[in-house]
Amino acid sequence: MLSINFFRYKIALLNVLRNRRRSLITLLSIQIGVVSLILFGGFVASMYEGMRENMIRSQLGHLQIYQAGFNQYGHIEPEQYLLTQEQVQQVSNLVSGLAEVELLTPRLDFSGLITNGNQSVAVVGNGIDPDKEALLSSAITLIEGEDLFPEDQAGALVGQGLYNALNANIGDYLTLLASTADGAVNAVDVQIVGAINTGTREVDNRLLRINLSHAQDLQFTQGVSRLVVLLKDTAQTQIVMDKLSQLFEQEGLTLEMRSWSQLADYYHEVVNLFDGVFGFLKIIVLFIAALSIANTMMMAVMERTPEIGSIRALGATRHEVMMLFLTEASYLGLFGSTLGVLLGIFMANSITLAEFIMPTPPGSSQSYPIRIFVEWTVVWQTALTGVLVAVLASIYPAFKASRLLINQAMRSA
Amino acid sequence: MKLVNLAKVSRYFTLGQNRVCALKQIDLQVNKGEFLVLKGASGSGKSTLLNLIGAMDEVDEGEIAIAGKALGPMSDRQKSHVRRDHIGFIFQSFNLLPVLTALENVQYPLSLRTGGKAAGASSHKENKAKALAALERVGLADFVNHKPNQLSGGQMQRVAIARALVTEPDIILADEPTANLDSENAQSIMALMKQLNRQGITFIFATHHDYVLEQASRVIELRDGCILQDKQRVAA
Repeated sequence: MLSINFFRYKIALLNVLRNRRRSLITLLSIQIGVVSLILFGGFVASMYEGMRENMIRSQLGHLQIYQAGFNQYGHIEPEQYLLTQEQVQQVSNLVSGLAEVELLTPRLDFSGLITNGNQSVAVVGNGIDPDKEALLSSAITLIEGEDLFPEDQAGALVGQGLYNALNANIGDYLTLLASTADGAVNAVDVQIVGAINTGTREVDNRLLRINLSHAQDLQFTQGVSRLVVLLKDTAQTQIVMDKLSQLFEQEGLTLEMRSWSQLADYYHEVVNLFDGVFGFLKIIVLFIAALSIANTMMMAVMERTPEIGSIRALGATRHEVMMLFLTEASYLGLFGSTLGVLLGIFMANSITLAEFIMPTPPGSSQSYPIRIFVEWTVVWQTALTGVLVAVLASIYPAFKASRLLINQAMRSA
Repeated sequence: MKLVNLAKVSRYFTLGQNRVCALKQIDLQVNKGEFLVLKGASGSGKSTLLNLIGAMDEVDEGEIAIAGKALGPMSDRQKSHVRRDHIGFIFQSFNLLPVLTALENVQYPLSLRTGGKAAGASSHKENKAKALAALERVGLADFVNHKPNQLSGGQMQRVAIARALVTEPDIILADEPTANLDSENAQSIMALMKQLNRQGITFIFATHHDYVLEQASRVIELRDGCILQDKQRVAA
């Protein structure tokens, strides 16, 4: 077996090197395909990661814990599904025992109207613990003014869009109206301490953040809507969720949880869209590479017809002839993919280092530098696909070669 | 001992609308040790007959047996094995693989046996020794690492002869083996083949050169696809 393989591999390799210009063009087309897929795959992966971490660290956290039934009925009667102080304390004790957790912070949601005397704007508000939110919401950027502190009892952070709509200045006092937990209407004064940008324009047009105690005073409640958990690593989300479920069951707590993935509908829509685009692009790129390889192999078969006749006359079977051409195609795929992978990694790192700024994406309010991850899954899958496409594209030419009539092939010398 | 047996063999080709008969009802037996020459004008059927004996073409009528094995019912794979194990080929254009050295060209048919796990298959090392011995036999021991483009026409044909010899076939088929050689090289090649024939190797030639005819132990003249003459003769 060693002998036939040795000759087959040797002849195939020498044939690749024989027509260098044509092999080079084929290698180039495989390389371009592999590089473009690695770069696009890496770009998409960095975009997914950026969007995911931005959502986690500006709004969602990794996990959110609610009163049971909150997600089904809470939007109709939020006051009925608040977590009590006792529950908050119990959960805090359980969560503090988990090494994977970075922090746990409460939020009280409300909606209402904010007015500067001349105009009123609808707002979606959160009562927050400013110290903890500063760590959790690290993706939120302060545009103007300063951050919210626990001492700023009446202080408020407003979304950039809302800040502009109110035509307000830092330090201005505004009146906030909202329903209380028992259905009455209450109003409190808030002082704008800063304008913030979450990265999502829709959110920035309505967002208001005040101290948790101030929000609780506004709503006449001691409860919170949710507890937001930030983990040290996004990959541990499911593990922590499983652990917490067990702990809640053991402690008899009737709570429910949602992961960032369950809450981030927009993220999944974008991922699905880009996965589709990536898949389509992949097909086009691979089709072009396959055409180039098939063309090269057909030319090789036509050029080497007398040689094919000779080796068949010497006793090579059709299978042997086919394997000879497929081995040649494997070399082209292997060399092209290897060079493509090396070039792709180099280009991905170079582009990331160059920090080219991307235009602001739709629905976002922040531009960002292009980052291209070297996604090893994409790299090895693309490299393997490069070799596979080369082999698959050569099946027809190899089959044609194996079916040549010996006497006619010899005559074409 | 009959190495080749043709019984009522006919072969037709289609040229445009016409069906042309290339061989008509040929009966032929070739015995071991013969130095048989097929002669005839261009289009007489020499090459067609040689292709059929070499299991490189299919008969339309009749039956061919090589070394006692009937080709008719064989699959393409089995015919490949017949060519590999029983027949050696020498072509007018030498047909060496240009990417391989002289030694590798000679070794290649042996590697087909090894890969196919055929009876008598030997290791890579043994194949190399056999190829070297075959090249020595044709006087090319000093050219083993030369590629075909570094060899003269005569040397290339010697490599082709070594390639045909190396598998120790029952029969060697040679289609105009000296046509692309100058007279000096052609006579040298013929002398070599005659010498190999004396050592027991059976040759069938297709040619129209007189100096080949002079070496023949048997001459078959073909005309319009039929055997016109079949003469035994005492070779020079």
